[in-house]
Amino acid sequence: MQYLVSVINDTADLATQEEMAAIDVFNDRLAAEDHWVFAGGLGSPSTATVIDNRGGDALVTDGPFVESKEFIVGFWVMQAPDLDVVLKLAAEGSKACNRKVEVRPFLGE
Amino acid sequence: MVAALMRRFGDLDIAEEAAAEAFATAVQRWPADGVPPNPGAWLTTTANRKAIDRIRHENKRDGKHKDAQLMYDDDPPEPPGAIDDERLRLIFTCCHPALAMETRVALTLRMVAGLTMPEIARAFLVQETAMGQRITRAKAKIKTARIPYRVPSAQDLPARVSGVLAVLFLVFNEGYLATGPGTDPVRHDLTAEAIRLTRLIRALMPEDGEVAGLLALMLLTEARRTARVSASGELVALDQQDRGTWDAALIAEGHRLVRERLAARVAPGRYQILAAISAVHTSARDVRDTDWSQVVALYDQLVRLDPSPVVALNRAIAVAELDGPEVALAAVNRLEDKLAGYHPYHAARADLLRRLGRGQLSRAAYDQAIELAGNTAEIASLTRRRDQLGWRR
Repeated sequence: MQYLVSVINDTADLATQEEMAAIDVFNDRLAAEDHWVFAGGLGSPSTATVIDNRGGDALVTDGPFVESKEFIVGFWVMQAPDLDVVLKLAAEGSKACNRKVEVRPFLGE
Repeated sequence: MVAALMRRFGDLDIAEEAAAEAFATAVQRWPADGVPPNPGAWLTTTANRKAIDRIRHENKRDGKHKDAQLMYDDDPPEPPGAIDDERLRLIFTCCHPALAMETRVALTLRMVAGLTMPEIARAFLVQETAMGQRITRAKAKIKTARIPYRVPSAQDLPARVSGVLAVLFLVFNEGYLATGPGTDPVRHDLTAEAIRLTRLIRALMPEDGEVAGLLALMLLTEARRTARVSASGELVALDQQDRGTWDAALIAEGHRLVRERLAARVAPGRYQILAAISAVHTSARDVRDTDWSQVVALYDQLVRLDPSPVVALNRAIAVAELDGPEVALAAVNRLEDKLAGYHPYHAARADLLRRLGRGQLSRAAYDQAIELAGNTAEIASLTRRRDQLGWRR
């Protein structure tokens, strides 16, 4: 079972050196315990581009699809047997990166 | 058929799909193979197989098919422990912290205690369709996010159990003062279920003070159940009850638990304080023997822990016995802003005003209480008290 653990913040400020070090330790642990699938940081919403090609004539819009006070600044994809396990990991992840996180399941394989 | 499958498999989606698949198989096979001698039994057996296949298929990686087999009641009778374990697992799933509190209570009432959707909707004062959607969404989340179906490990148990106790207390209260117009005023099935589940939790955590406190509170309340509704179907207040009909065995067990907690010398939580209050009441052979100063002292302790208006209201009712109705009424009146929609507030005011001889104000307060109350026996009792006012004037 895989879960998307999104990192939520109200600024796109990069992680501090301290936060980065804690994230590295946490990521090593994820890998060592077989929870690691993928992770990454994202550019700020202002760097986003929305494409709508449903009509066949791709419409390109500058900016994110929705303006919100808080947004996703990065994410993990974690492997875990159930929600209890991933909630504990997410709590540690939130502490490591010093930001809120949201856990969402991927739909069944 | 779906209900029977639901009881067996505890998953409405699986039940519905298995039933549909069984019918589809029948449509395919019967024209070619002929209709079986007992079509109903054939459909039930086929649907059960489909359901088990599906659960096995979905859960083959983590061995959950064992659970499905446990629930499949064509198997030999289970040892008594297995059903209890089943219920414990179900309750920890329904009371999972990833679900909103209201959802946990609703799910537990539906899945563990077996209440109907209208009963749950009524208990929450929401529309039936909204309650249906909430439960459907919760079931989808349990499944999609894979909320586990198990009792938490020993290290996680303390953090998870307080949420379970809150749910069990609400189930008990719904049983003790049922809100539905079409149900018995006291639903023994619910109070008994809540007590049974609390006992299971206590077996799991015998050292936990609040678990013991909640169990004691339920037992001491349940002990008064038969004295609580009169032959004519009216709710009987604590001071009017025939104390000879109280259940001595339940009271003894409740008192034993309260003493056990006192001996532990650990600061009590709210259930332990509420149980201690109940122990004071049930220790008095006659209402006039009640140690009201002890009751008020315990409420003072509770207010420090839980400064909610409902606790303040109950404290004020006890104060009436110690310092008189005038003092109590002043305290009750201060709660108007917060409790205007809560019928016990109006009922308490009505009783205090009656004792102070203010008939007209009392009548108006009874009217409001009757309008807001949902329990049939309580409405009957409030109505009689209101109507007796008329004769006195």
